[in-house]
Amino acid sequence: MSTDYSRQEMMAIATGREIRDGELAIFGVGLSMLAGYFAQAHHAPGVRAMTEGGVYGARPVGGLPWGIECNRLAVNAVSFTSALDALGCLVASGRCDVGIIGAAQVDRFGNVNTTGIWDGPIGTRYRPPKTRLTGAGGANDIACGAKRYLIMVSHEAKRFVDRVSYVTSPGFLDGGDTREQAGFVGGGPSAIITTLGVLRPDPQTHEFQLDAYFAFSGVDEILANTGWDLKVAADARVVPEPSPEELAALRRVDETGMLRR
Amino acid sequence: MPAHKLITLAEAVRRYTWDGMQYASGAALPVGSDAIVFGRELLRQQRRDLHAIFHANTQQLNLLAAAGAVTQAECGFSGLEGFGFANGLRRAIEQGRLVLEDFSNLAMALRLLGGALNWPFVPATVNIGSDLQYRRAFEPDVHPNPNKIPSVTDPFSGKQVGAFSPLRPDLAAIHVTLADPEGNAIMLGTEWSRFELSRAAKRVVLLADAIVDTDCMRQYPNLVRIPGIVVEAVVYWPFAAWPQASPGMHDVDEAHMKAMNVALGSDDGTAAYVRDYVESYADLDGYLDLIGRETISELSNGATAFLLDPYRRWLLPHAEALALTAEASA
Repeated sequence: MSTDYSRQEMMAIATGREIRDGELAIFGVGLSMLAGYFAQAHHAPGVRAMTEGGVYGARPVGGLPWGIECNRLAVNAVSFTSALDALGCLVASGRCDVGIIGAAQVDRFGNVNTTGIWDGPIGTRYRPPKTRLTGAGGANDIACGAKRYLIMVSHEAKRFVDRVSYVTSPGFLDGGDTREQAGFVGGGPSAIITTLGVLRPDPQTHEFQLDAYFAFSGVDEILANTGWDLKVAADARVVPEPSPEELAALRRVDETGMLRR
Repeated sequence: MPAHKLITLAEAVRRYTWDGMQYASGAALPVGSDAIVFGRELLRQQRRDLHAIFHANTQQLNLLAAAGAVTQAECGFSGLEGFGFANGLRRAIEQGRLVLEDFSNLAMALRLLGGALNWPFVPATVNIGSDLQYRRAFEPDVHPNPNKIPSVTDPFSGKQVGAFSPLRPDLAAIHVTLADPEGNAIMLGTEWSRFELSRAAKRVVLLADAIVDTDCMRQYPNLVRIPGIVVEAVVYWPFAAWPQASPGMHDVDEAHMKAMNVALGSDDGTAAYVRDYVESYADLDGYLDLIGRETISELSNGATAFLLDPYRRWLLPHAEALALTAEASA
């Protein structure tokens, strides 16, 4: 057991623990890539990792890649193809087991907004956001097509909203069977992993509830930082702290210390 | 023996671009290959009111948006990946100077494929059920919008799917690693959507880091994903993707990526950037001087330089590539 780790590192390790050996997996740039390659370095050596640019077989060298097509990945790839291939043939088709995406805002049904922040609801007429964000990228394609996906997000009340103002990447939409009715190939978000804990969807309502908290957080802190009346699972428990092996593996991947800033 | 297609950058922009056109570029995401120098030349020749089709934002779109040359844009990802938000693009959107139509990264590739195949539409199993489908920036008053990604019935299953509109941009400026004088091209690194784009665009101009003898293409014909028969012109321009990376050729210029994005975060900064990095050079050698010969040497000695090894024997020397270009202008 180690207490010398950051909240971001705990989030990355908790996310990585969701990845199983042998899975076909897609990671975006940044934190999700660190979590994914941590899993590969620690407990899932056979994970078949790809990026949405169609860069296959690569392991990052020299620190966190600046982008999914960065030379830090191009340096040891065994295949370069295309977006159509990676996001289309391997993700939207339904073949991809698991994806990891980030969020600026996420709501109680796991819908993600990465498009913009408006001053209140957008209204009927579409208008420019007060703050423009990065748009959908490949996250929408992962959210629509991957068998399951994980959402990694810093746990703050302004990010955990009752209803996102813009659905960039669909979670369970309005809950219940609304996602099923929309006809997506993929199964939807299986967990929201935050800097404070882990949320999972109720199997019927598909509303996310608190499943577990970290050793340094707790139910009260999580409720105070969630913008809806978050339900707490009856068996909510503490997530095991990172083992020394896990931390060592993560830090080998996070060579430039992105998660310790 | 077909005539070679090498022309100067200035001539390519003069010949193939105009105000109000649909201009496509943005080849391989915000950190990788992109014909960024073509965008600099668009500004030097004061092209306006462009409708930009960028699969993903790059520093090129960021610059064109900041400088006010783009009024409409369609793209998937609109940030700069590890380098943060694209300050020029985001400011133009927030201020209402540029209307951005949002899609996902797969959607843009599929729409280019649809254009390439001349399909009436492309079935959409992504972007449906989200605000990418319901919100249409080009038609803001209609909500939920039925015209951006209309729902259609799958004739086989009877289920509802979406329909993407195909893209057929007037021009694509495509960055490639290697081109021969006839426009056959090899791309190192992910091709992202350059294959589809080269078939979807009405015209294609290549920006090549290096010119090679056609024997190189005959040695590796499987790797020539853009053949000369779909290419109008070739521009020889090393570091055309700078400050972004070109796998095999050079790494990303981290310092300039950051400084450029900071500059594009304000009107004054943008004006200074355009003065110093768009209008300041007279020709290719002046441009390379501007980047700095030391920087060029450092960035060229990156870990991916080995990717170029199989092709080195066919690389035309700098002076020879310039001479071929000059021959065409004479």
